Amino acid sequence: MAFAMRVKVPPNSANLAEARHRTFDFFRTACRSIPSIMDIYNLYDVANPSQLRSTIASEIRKNAHITNPKVIDMLLFKGMEELSNITEHAKQRHHIIGQYVVGNHGLVQDVATKDEELSNFLKNFYKSNYF
Amino acid sequence: MASALRAAILGHVRVPVVANGSKLLTPLWIHRNTSVRSMSSHDDHLEKSQVIDRILDIVKSFPKVDPSKVTPEVHFQKDLGLDSLDNVELIMAIEEEFKLEIPDKEADKIDSCALAIEYVYNHPMAS
Repeated sequence: MAFAMRVKVPPNSANLAEARHRTFDFFRTACRSIPSIMDIYNLYDVANPSQLRSTIASEIRKNAHITNPKVIDMLLFKGMEELSNITEHAKQRHHIIGQYVVGNHGLVQDVATKDEELSNFLKNFYKSNYF
Repeated sequence: MASALRAAILGHVRVPVVANGSKLLTPLWIHRNTSVRSMSSHDDHLEKSQVIDRILDIVKSFPKVDPSKVTPEVHFQKDLGLDSLDNVELIMAIEEEFKLEIPDKEADKIDSCALAIEYVYNHPMAS
């Protein structure tokens, strides 16, 4: 809510270079807020700053193939929104742990050959809520 | 409350007693060696070898880096096969380690161990 009230949408990026630059700016902002996030959610016993940095980088890398500056701007906006929600303590500890510490490989890793017949839907269902 | 504070402060302050009264007229800090400023952040400047060791440790502990390839002259993208986002991630790790905030324009230029070592070594606030 707090984010929505004081939100100001910046003008679109003119080209891919500008959008790229904004992405790096966003990444730096997110990295610099890691210490306060660790503090707010008391993450010291489950993660360290470099793990969280790598998680943020991999979230950004998921969308590395996108070349449309407007789409990048939209994703950056969503990222900024997520970051403000996190730094404003709009989430709870288990949200952060589930999404960014445990991540999309889930708590229980499927290593054996069992359940090969299982549908992908069920496998994903067992794996994680976040993807 | 002010008087209590005053009493508390006076209870802790110790002024060195000097036999020669005239010496008391000159401020205390003049007597000290002015090249050593004990509370200044500029004194405990890092040794170059220390900076090199710590930066190499950061680069070696980066998940995508093969630790055996890391040398003080290594180029992040050309030699270690990292991309631009990894580069920024490394710079952020260096910022965290040395408690710095590297401005974006300068952070963009740092793309090798040698430049990172040079920057941190010359930074007055690195610790």
